[in-house]
Amino acid sequence: MIPIRCISCGKPVSAYFDEYNSRLADGEDSKAILDDMGLKRYCCRRMLITHVETWE
Amino acid sequence: MEIEVKSKDENEIVFIVRDAEVPFINAIRRIAMMEVPKIAIEDVNIVQNDSAMFNEVLAHRLGLTPLISNLDGIEGMEMANECDCEEYCPKCSVSFTLSKTGPGIIYSKDLVSTDSTIKPVYDTIPLLKLKEDQNIELEVVAKIGLGKDHAKWIPTTVCAYKQYPKITFNEDAEVNYELADVCPRNILKSDKRSKKLKVQNIEDCSMCKACVRADENDYINIGFEEKNFIFRIETDGSLPPEEVLSKACDVLSDKADKFITFSKN
Ligand SMILES: [Zn+2]
Ligand SMILES: [Zn+2]
Repeated sequence: MIPIRCISCGKPVSAYFDEYNSRLADGEDSKAILDDMGLKRYCCRRMLITHVETWE
Repeated sequence: MEIEVKSKDENEIVFIVRDAEVPFINAIRRIAMMEVPKIAIEDVNIVQNDSAMFNEVLAHRLGLTPLISNLDGIEGMEMANECDCEEYCPKCSVSFTLSKTGPGIIYSKDLVSTDSTIKPVYDTIPLLKLKEDQNIELEVVAKIGLGKDHAKWIPTTVCAYKQYPKITFNEDAEVNYELADVCPRNILKSDKRSKKLKVQNIEDCSMCKACVRADENDYINIGFEEKNFIFRIETDGSLPPEEVLSKACDVLSDKADKFITFSKN
């Protein structure tokens, strides 16, 4: 499961996780989605970009 | 001291403070993070947890879930350690229940609050996953606390200031137009007509000094204005940034009041 908050700054990034994934599946560009959702800092962006879901 | 608001939205405020001192600005910053009360889940009573997630991991995730704790919501509520009850009571706590059967992902919106004003800020935070026929049943108690006791009670994500950047040019030195391309934040713009480098959006300057390092003939100089600050407060959504700021000022003035009463006696 994705951590609730960004490990570095504490922003609740998990709230954006489902939206990020569904928009990514629709073929949108990762950068465009993150910019649009207002995740400006690279600490928060890496939380979504690099997350690997191991719990199926 | 003068304050000018640069930008403001639901979760973030940026403002400029002019003619202030570092210790004062820093006191506000530290109090905004560590001593502004907000509400967060503290106790979790798990009745049944069939999921693959350990109870303590789940409790930790619940604790970090931000809850709405604006002034309307927590007005009149007691700090948990100052309340005269045994463990918890409606005066100092809000309880939630969560009861679901799989399959599916359990979200923060599935938490049912006993208080209509206090609920999770975001509905879409995934808490755990359940498979077919698995159950989750728990009760949680949210209490008011301070950031210095646990990170879940820190209302801010970003709470920081920097001194106002100051960029000066040495008119005697040769103009180096290439510096405009060196700046990672595009602060500098080469203006060949007036034979100068122009500064734009100076507040974006991070004072990285990449331009100074690339500059061989000491044309550019990066400094800062000692008494002017750019202050940024971003919250996790639990309370608006202006409320964090005004509460931080209240706490600071209460502290000063203690000195006043002390020195009168
Ligand atoms: Zn972050
Ligand atoms: Zn109580």
